[in-house]
Amino acid sequence: MSKIEEVKAKVEAGKSKLVPGLVQEALDAGNNPQDILDAMVESMSVVGEKFSTGEIFVPEMLIAAKAMSKGVDVLKPHLAGDGSSKLGTCVIGTVAGDLHDIGKNLVSLMIESAGFEMVDLGVDVPAETFVQAIKDNDNVKIVACSGLLTSTMPALKEAVAAIKASGLNGFKVIVGGAPVTLEYAAEIGADGFAPDAGTAAVKAKELAIA
Amino acid sequence: MLTKRQNLAEVMKGGNPDRFVKQYEAFAMMMRTPITRIKPPIGGEIVNEWGVTIRWPEGQLGAFPVHDAEHIVIKDITKWRDYVKAPAVEFSEKAWAVAVADAVAVDRNDQYVTVFVAPGIFEEVHYLMSMEEALMAYYEEPEAMHELIDYIVKFEMKMAKEFIDHLHPDALFHHDDWGSQINSFISPAMFEEFFVPAYKKIYGYYKDNGVELIVHHSDSYAANLVPAMIEMGIDIWQGVMTTNHVPELIKEYGPKITFMGDIDSGVIDFPGWTQENIAQKVETACRRCGKLYFIPGASQGMNVSSFAGVYEATDEEIDRMSKEMF
Repeated sequence: MSKIEEVKAKVEAGKSKLVPGLVQEALDAGNNPQDILDAMVESMSVVGEKFSTGEIFVPEMLIAAKAMSKGVDVLKPHLAGDGSSKLGTCVIGTVAGDLHDIGKNLVSLMIESAGFEMVDLGVDVPAETFVQAIKDNDNVKIVACSGLLTSTMPALKEAVAAIKASGLNGFKVIVGGAPVTLEYAAEIGADGFAPDAGTAAVKAKELAIA
Repeated sequence: MLTKRQNLAEVMKGGNPDRFVKQYEAFAMMMRTPITRIKPPIGGEIVNEWGVTIRWPEGQLGAFPVHDAEHIVIKDITKWRDYVKAPAVEFSEKAWAVAVADAVAVDRNDQYVTVFVAPGIFEEVHYLMSMEEALMAYYEEPEAMHELIDYIVKFEMKMAKEFIDHLHPDALFHHDDWGSQINSFISPAMFEEFFVPAYKKIYGYYKDNGVELIVHHSDSYAANLVPAMIEMGIDIWQGVMTTNHVPELIKEYGPKITFMGDIDSGVIDFPGWTQENIAQKVETACRRCGKLYFIPGASQGMNVSSFAGVYEATDEEIDRMSKEMF
């Protein structure tokens, strides 16, 4: 097994204590830093797919994301720029009136692992804060809005409407959360919907490079 | 006509109930005990018995533990003993007097005197250290997690002894949310390692001491954990959401466990709720799940609703379905 393959396998297995050393060994063996990063992104895409199909659960996804993050720390000094955000910036937050952060955090981890720079606005985010974050940050390609409650679905609609009415462009809006469906996402004018964190990363990537 | 308790017993044993069990009607909840856990008022904040800061912001449907660096209780799981101290559960007879009177007032032929425990072990752990840290620690620091869980189990056993000594309950209603609406948080294998032995001890203790029924609340997907629930001694899984495909669960496990729910609170209990919508959801649940091993009800973990009138409206619709189907 090559060093890069080892890195891939250990990221997928969530071995955060082993990955930094393996990344260093892969670098020492002369591998291109970007190739190592791409391998880790590929691992996380496998992890996301396994999560979406129910083959693995939240802990396995979390430890894999942590392992990748430790690997990226070793790689960063060797990459052009910071190397971790070639797909652009993703602004993410849970909409106004909703304090649920676990689902949003998982989505954030997976989108980051797919190669985005994340701007996490936290929870209970007013529509205008999403708009301001798009103005304040460079190269925003995705805005991800989360809503977990039936009672906060109107806030999700409001956030999407405010973002779309802002006149800003160059990005796509994705939505998700327990009560959100593909139909509802379309109805409120979102560009994409994902039922879980693994699919969210795939959808974000697909929309960003479209 | 059967009493509420007799009717529930008939549902559970696959006998001859004379109507649907109406949500929580068979359970007389003992909520005024000295060891009932405190929670913040709406708009308020408390530090609970374990030192967890909990806020219930205005406009929210529930309370949230605060997990920023300043407030999180367990800052390093390998040193959990430095941070965690279980609350005392021994109180005077005088402190128990109100609860004892509440229990005495219940007609036990009609209802189960039911003690309430929340949060459960899985929840207690993530209240203390945050969900993300807890879920990673099951992999990264399993020894410490086993120790912490053992510590919480010991606390729960002490609490159980107090409930049993003072109230002689007939039923336990125990919360612990084990999943999101689409999957369990952890795999069945991890659940088997960390939680099945813990709950076997606790639920076994209640049963060994005269508690007839164990009702467990998890308003989530947890169909993959049903065999573990049966192994733990759970008699009724309350909160079973529609994503579990309840009719299939009833068919597969019915004689071993009863399912209470199949009406997701989120789709009936919201501002602007309507009787027609509730009627439709209740009817769907009753018709597809049938009369045995099933209790129709909202997935919410108590005999209340988030928006006034929904609980009662749901009861009315269950009455209507009883008239139509029995």
